[in-house]
Amino acid sequence: MFSFRYVLRETGQNLWRNILLAVATVVTVGVSLAMFGGFMLFQVAVDSATARWQDGVEFIVWMNTDAGTDEDSSVRNQLDESPGVERWEYVDRRQSYEEFQEFFADTPEVLEIFTAEGVPPYYRVVPADPAPDVVEELGSQFKGKPGVRTVTFAGDVIRDVQNLSNRAGRVLFIGSIVLLGASTLLILNTLAVAIGNRRPEIEIMRLVGATKWFIRVPFMLEGLVQGLLGAVVAMISNSLLRNYVIDQFSDADGLQLLAGFKVDDAAMLQVNLLVVAIAVGVAVIGSNLAVAMHLNE
Amino acid sequence: MIKMEKVTKVFKGDVVALRDVTIDIGKGEFVFLVGPSGSGKSTFIRLLNREDVPEHGRIFVAGRDIGGLSGWRVPYLRRNIGYVFQDFKLLQKKTVAENVAFALEVIGKGPQVINRQVPAILELVGLSRKMDRFPRELSGGEQQRVSIARAFVNRPLILLADEPTGNLDPTTSVGIMRLLERINEIGTTVVMATHDSSIVDSMRQRVVELDRGMVVRDQARGVYE
Repeated sequence: MFSFRYVLRETGQNLWRNILLAVATVVTVGVSLAMFGGFMLFQVAVDSATARWQDGVEFIVWMNTDAGTDEDSSVRNQLDESPGVERWEYVDRRQSYEEFQEFFADTPEVLEIFTAEGVPPYYRVVPADPAPDVVEELGSQFKGKPGVRTVTFAGDVIRDVQNLSNRAGRVLFIGSIVLLGASTLLILNTLAVAIGNRRPEIEIMRLVGATKWFIRVPFMLEGLVQGLLGAVVAMISNSLLRNYVIDQFSDADGLQLLAGFKVDDAAMLQVNLLVVAIAVGVAVIGSNLAVAMHLNE
Repeated sequence: MIKMEKVTKVFKGDVVALRDVTIDIGKGEFVFLVGPSGSGKSTFIRLLNREDVPEHGRIFVAGRDIGGLSGWRVPYLRRNIGYVFQDFKLLQKKTVAENVAFALEVIGKGPQVINRQVPAILELVGLSRKMDRFPRELSGGEQQRVSIARAFVNRPLILLADEPTGNLDPTTSVGIMRLLERINEIGTTVVMATHDSSIVDSMRQRVVELDRGMVVRDQARGVYE
């Protein structure tokens, strides 16, 4: 039978005895998980920002808020008649305002300024041929038309953001994987030191009849605590990243795309749960390796 | 209580530690294992505690064949066997009482059992007044008493002692032997490996002599040589 009090006491003592090594482990686990969390949050933010560009949409024709019915019909007719347009979708003022509200859900001060009348409707256009030069020429036909405010191209903004996202994401992902490997080894080494320090006790425990798991559990719990503390560090980092970096992007004036560059609460929770799950995984692997290699009961 | 049937233990490099040993030790017996260094005394004790397994033969402890014992059952075997070391192996950062309590705590005994049994066993070994001292504050004999208290606190059926007086002066050794004798009188089987001829000669208990891994003498109420 396990004595809960004993296991907690031993785990606490183990951590305290190797406090510097334990702190180093927690920081390393935290940094690697923070990098991984950053990678995930960045992906979520990019997906959010590019949501209206999904399903093959290559350019958007933004109408003026005061565009009349004739001007609107003219654009529709041209879209219908253009052989280069495969399909299009009209996002009316109400839908556009709903999207706007969603984008700026975290900044009520912005929502207060704009009403539904101040948000423009737009056309999302899927061209038959997604080649950049064809899309460019097709979209340019709508520039300057009466009632059209502007035309934005996926190629101009989305590809840049997606390329940046892909590159930064790769670096963060590879970096975090390398650091997670290092974290696993660090947990292994920390536990190896803890096991070495407690060798005389372990010998006595074996000889008086302590079970294998009774001997192992405090060490494994020590690894788990280190992993979870690392996860806490990473979650704090995720929170700072979201509130002070990603949200700052979305606050930037005049950058329509970045207005959607945000991470909502549900996505944040998912990323944090994933970070905790990875921390547990790293801790379990490191701890199991340590007890398998250094505890020969 | 202990039975070995044609037990052979060979270490790496074909070093034969025990060769074809057959022996039967009854409940409540006090047995001295004697013989020169390297004769197999420590291996004999390690086999009884399942720290090693023999290449050939069978070993029974309390009627159970411990050779076929699965790994997870070994700790439960060891709860019936106390172990006393020549070098005491006390935990220096724990007090006398904590050292003894540790043996109960790690087999899952609760505070009530610990609070009842630890003072009782320290009374038995004569260390009640020193239960809050640390090992470094004790003499060699006292440290060995703590070691015996730790081995016996769970009331094992068998007490194995590997040279328990090896680090002690003759006078202190006599005290330790009186303590082991007392534990034996309670009904515990005691198997003690020793080089101390004066102790063996004075106790006149059963003597099993090993030489190059073989039992060369098994004598009731025997002497060292």
